[in-house]
Amino acid sequence: MELERKDIQGLIVSSYKHLPCAAYLLLQVKDATAARAWLARSVGDFTTAETKHPHFSTNVAFTYNGLKKLGLNQEVLATFSFPFQEGMATEHRSRILGDGNENAPSNWEWGGAQDNLVDLLLLVYARDESVLKAQLEHWQQELRGSSGGFGEPRILHAQRQPKNNPEHFGFHDGIGQPVMEGTGNKQRQLARTHHATELPAGEFLLGHANLYGATSDTPVVRPEDDPQQLLTTVPDSATALGARPGMHDLGRNGTYLVFRQLAQDVAKFWNFLDKATCDPKGKSNPSARDHLGAKFVGRRKSGAPLVLSPQQDDPRLDNENNFSYIDKDPQGFACPIGAHIRRSNPRDSLGPDPQAALNTANRHRILRRGRSYGPRLTDPLVDDGKERGLHFICLNSDIERQFEFVQQTWINNPVFGGLYEEVDPLVGNLAKGDALFTVQGEPLRARVHNLSRFVIVKGGSYFFLPSIRTLGYLANL
Amino acid sequence: MTHTVLTFIARVKPEKTEDLRKLLKLIQDDPEKNSCVPFRSLQLLHFASFVLHESQEYGPYLVFENNFDGLLQAYLDDLYLHASRGLHQVYSCCQDYTVTSAGDRQRLFAYLHAHVVRPNAYHIGNTGRSVKRILDEQTLRDALETRADALAQSVPPPSPSGLLGAFQNFVRSDPQFAWVSGVGPRQTFIEWFMPWVKFVAVILLVIVLLPIWLLPGIIGLLVLRFKESTDPVQSSAAKIQNVKDLVDREDRTPSVQNHMASITIVKPGWLRRLTLRVVLWAINLLARAKATHGELSGIPSIHFAHWSVIDNGRRLLFLSNFDGSWENYLDDFIDKASSGLTAVWSNTLNFPRTQFLLWGGARDGSRFKAVARDSQTVTNAWYSAYWDLTVQGIDNNSSIREDVLNPLDATATKAWLLRL
Repeated sequence: MELERKDIQGLIVSSYKHLPCAAYLLLQVKDATAARAWLARSVGDFTTAETKHPHFSTNVAFTYNGLKKLGLNQEVLATFSFPFQEGMATEHRSRILGDGNENAPSNWEWGGAQDNLVDLLLLVYARDESVLKAQLEHWQQELRGSSGGFGEPRILHAQRQPKNNPEHFGFHDGIGQPVMEGTGNKQRQLARTHHATELPAGEFLLGHANLYGATSDTPVVRPEDDPQQLLTTVPDSATALGARPGMHDLGRNGTYLVFRQLAQDVAKFWNFLDKATCDPKGKSNPSARDHLGAKFVGRRKSGAPLVLSPQQDDPRLDNENNFSYIDKDPQGFACPIGAHIRRSNPRDSLGPDPQAALNTANRHRILRRGRSYGPRLTDPLVDDGKERGLHFICLNSDIERQFEFVQQTWINNPVFGGLYEEVDPLVGNLAKGDALFTVQGEPLRARVHNLSRFVIVKGGSYFFLPSIRTLGYLANL
Repeated sequence: MTHTVLTFIARVKPEKTEDLRKLLKLIQDDPEKNSCVPFRSLQLLHFASFVLHESQEYGPYLVFENNFDGLLQAYLDDLYLHASRGLHQVYSCCQDYTVTSAGDRQRLFAYLHAHVVRPNAYHIGNTGRSVKRILDEQTLRDALETRADALAQSVPPPSPSGLLGAFQNFVRSDPQFAWVSGVGPRQTFIEWFMPWVKFVAVILLVIVLLPIWLLPGIIGLLVLRFKESTDPVQSSAAKIQNVKDLVDREDRTPSVQNHMASITIVKPGWLRRLTLRVVLWAINLLARAKATHGELSGIPSIHFAHWSVIDNGRRLLFLSNFDGSWENYLDDFIDKASSGLTAVWSNTLNFPRTQFLLWGGARDGSRFKAVARDSQTVTNAWYSAYWDLTVQGIDNNSSIREDVLNPLDATATKAWLLRL
């Protein structure tokens, strides 16, 4: 299948690894006319999937609020997916995403309440710090004041991406990713990780065939609302529920982007592990500490999966992703059932038939595009009082079936995979400070008690990352 | 040990609908101990729900769902003992309820008996387990887990047989676990055997009668095939207000058990009504014999579910008490049981396009989910006797209890220890 690369924003096919610096601008629309004018003169500046720019890239996404402020009418807004319309910060979503207590939207710095809602997200990537600075200056100039139509941006800086991408807890991250059909990323992924799960474009692009063989649901406008024919027409052959033949396709080649700012308390994490593994006299045992940390994650610090390195770290496996659970580790003796990577992608492990389980799991994959922020902690056991964490960003065509499902049915599910009363030890809803983590073993499992939150949600929103055509349409509203 | 699965269905006086809604809200605010129907007091009860459903054509209905141990009369006695006044209040909002006082036991029973609807097909996840047994086995498991935390710290680490011995001593020495050795099997031989006898007998009968039903069957199938290709299907996304009302009540229990109440309209014509009844009858036959180990057609998460054809075959009521999220439940339906559920619900309005009753249908995932949401109705009050347990967890607890005091060989000992 040939993708319409000119029409697709670059972030969908690339995580811009060649551009290690990044910042995210969160903006509110103050003047819709000026904002549309800004969009009209900027459309050509957004990076598409066709060209790889060696110095910088920019992409843009909107919340439901943002689209509304730009002037999209209610009839059209109602054709977007339900979670996108509602937003991330509803009571029900807080329950399923684990956003209770200190993670509650009312405590968020952005996206959680009426007074800090976000309309537009600008994602800026650059080759180095000076290019990033220049780009940010350029965009801020463009966006500001009466000519741009936006308020003062909230700027979220990402940390310069080090090689091998360790997140703040110290583990090599971003190894396993599904591959979208038509991107040509399969070979690269295979070469890097020895494994690639290629999924139909409709899993990550609206208006294309998904894993059910149906066109993923897509927002539309009436033909008379698109007199200049800026959008493509939904073909008569389209039979899926979301497809409305004859209507003009606003979603095609766009996708939904989930953004969550997750602060990581690195010192709390490592001190907890230290205390849990020290000897009876209270003396630290660094190798036991690292080992338990790896059990929480499911990979060792180098990235080596526990399934393939059950005894000790093996840096040769730092990008290894070619493994499954049922043949090598059905009981969780190497990688615990509740470990973070086993929960966030259970592969073939749920259910009696491994192939069927894998097929089911693949309906719930996301493309991860997040980056760490904040300075690295020099001594992981000593807090420096600074905030650091992950700007979690993922792309999917069906927020309920993909992102929210992973979060609810896998990450935060106390009975995941036959467990009884525990959630993901890294990012799960560990609200009460008395949470459990089970390390399966022979002859008897061990249980770690009294986990509390190591990760705090600071903000978040659901965005729509439109196609280039749709950006043109929005600019012309 | 048998279970009973049934509903009481009554028409609500339209002018009393709001009063009833308030009353059900009071129950829902504290399902265990509310003053109206304090479900926790009912010791035979696994799951219960009240659904107040309104439709243009049929007016307001009250569906009172009950899944309990043993037979109806013992349960009714218990229900009357703890909730006679509450029931009287509830049913005073319903049509043809003429009982004047909650003290009139006989007439209240007569009313309930007259409104019993037994399901055409049902499924029970944990065959043969009573509420008491489920709760007792969970207490035992919790105690063993705490004991295991201590044993895991022992230096040097004990051998598997040493561990099992330690657990056995622990259970034997605590009088609160004296019941452990006295629990019966999940199913007696007869309970297991009879459904199979029935199943095989029916298959034989169907084969013997082949000459009689074959021709009408083929003609019926062809007519059905024609109807399938022309029946209208769902054409819009699920109605958003209904979805909002539903999700507002979902995912509130610790292990995320959920309830689903769905009322669909059967497609017009006797062929569809007949097909629906035959399919449900076949599912029930199969479920009694085959689905006794926690799974219904590969779905491992259903505690109690049932289908009842109501209103003289014109509507289909489905009630389910299940583990996990709605999305997960529906995905399981699509991935593991699409033929069965397509055979059932394709006889009701708006279902996705099918081929020969079993094919297509629910595999059109997003359309199926939209139909499912639109036909789902708000559960006004809902009770589970064990919010934090899954079907699989209950089963594991039973296995732990069943073997804890048995002499086990080396392999069985290892396997038993892994259940903790």
